[in-house]
Amino acid sequence: MDDNAIIDGMARGDQRAFRELVERYKKKVFYLALDMAGNAVDAEDISQDVFLKVYRSFSTFRRGAKLGSWLYRVTYNASIDHLRSKGLAPEPVADEVLESRGGADQAPAQARASDPVAAAETSQLQARIAAALEKISPQEKAVFVLRHYEELKLRDIAETLGLSIGSVKSYLFRAVHKLQKELGGRAGISGLEASHE
Amino acid sequence: MSDRHITKDRMAEALYGELGPAEKESFDRHLRDCPDCASEYAALEATLRIMDKRERPDPGPEFWNGYWGRLSKRMLWESIEEGRSPSLAARLFRPFARLPRWSLQAAAAAALLLLGILVGSRLIPRPEGPRAVAAGPAAATSAPSSAVAQAGSFIERSKVLLLGLVNYDPATQDPYALDLDGKKAVSRTLAAEAPALRGALKGPGQRRLRELVADLEVIMMQIANLEAGQDLEGVDLIKQGVDRKGIFLKIDLDRMGREARGPAAPPAETARPKKTIA
Repeated sequence: MDDNAIIDGMARGDQRAFRELVERYKKKVFYLALDMAGNAVDAEDISQDVFLKVYRSFSTFRRGAKLGSWLYRVTYNASIDHLRSKGLAPEPVADEVLESRGGADQAPAQARASDPVAAAETSQLQARIAAALEKISPQEKAVFVLRHYEELKLRDIAETLGLSIGSVKSYLFRAVHKLQKELGGRAGISGLEASHE
Repeated sequence: MSDRHITKDRMAEALYGELGPAEKESFDRHLRDCPDCASEYAALEATLRIMDKRERPDPGPEFWNGYWGRLSKRMLWESIEEGRSPSLAARLFRPFARLPRWSLQAAAAAALLLLGILVGSRLIPRPEGPRAVAAGPAAATSAPSSAVAQAGSFIERSKVLLLGLVNYDPATQDPYALDLDGKKAVSRTLAAEAPALRGALKGPGQRRLRELVADLEVIMMQIANLEAGQDLEGVDLIKQGVDRKGIFLKIDLDRMGREARGPAAPPAETARPKKTIA
């Protein structure tokens, strides 16, 4: 079932289409929520909120729009609501979440387990990256995550988040610039690159 | 070197390869002539290479395989909490047609409970309220306190049941020590009592008590609808709901309020014999 078939099915009230939508987009929605909220527990709550909202409010979906973009937007809004409810203070990514890797992603972690020094360095790097991401604003983070990890084009991000293309470029530059600063500036980045090659 | 440096917008586009061919050529030419811009661009590119090393945590196949089950369970419970409307329940039931056995059992139990509550609230005369008022002034004054006393008993019995659930630690205790079947039976009884209680709690100053009874009614229905056997995942969700809604705090506040009001609201334990909680 492709996106158009899902959209048609949802419009007809076909519940199989809803399940297909959840199965297809659960990871994208969860990971954007995780990037925004900073922890897996909140990310699952947010992602469930998103699908409940989609189920109840599918009539607000504009025909012709991209389903994925709409879901990203609902996720972004739900994440912002969540952050506001917590006083715009997202929790840092917990170490146990970073370390609780499973499935296909587990292989590198298992390989590192035999090299304690590499494992420690990787863990340190992951902690620094997580801390740096927590320092940028939710808008900057959303734009950065959608471009860097979800690989959306700038124009698509603008449409998804309801921003002008100029604002998207501005948020993106500020995000990368702040990340650079948080990672230790030019000297710090060079050091990190050298120790993790 | 060029007089004007590259704009931030142009830098962002270049970092992600979103410049057109002519723009890219102009951009590269500028970098060759401008060490400042070249240095800044190189540092930003290096930042992105570091961000490429970020490992997004994967919750694992068990998490993903159970995702739909957890979502559909929440949908079912929220349909009970929000609407209690047969049409809404019917609409929400359809997504579960292709689900595993537990979801059908839970939905069927919820539907039966809803039907029972609906029929009960319509057909069974309420012990308090208009009849008591019609019986005379003495009855009129005793009715509110009687309803409050019954609510107190309902709340205390619910609390005992909930304490058994929240104090259960699957890491250290045998699942059968939880006696989920026994708790489900008690919760069904409590859920069936709640509508009449809510109906009787119409007096001034009883809104909070009525809301607490309604909260507990929902939780009792959730417990009653737990999957047959040892639905520890469902128990955990209920624990989270109890915690999120601050149920124990509300219960304690209610008891303090009733104690402060004095003997007009007799202790819950004397108003109704306490049932044996298995």
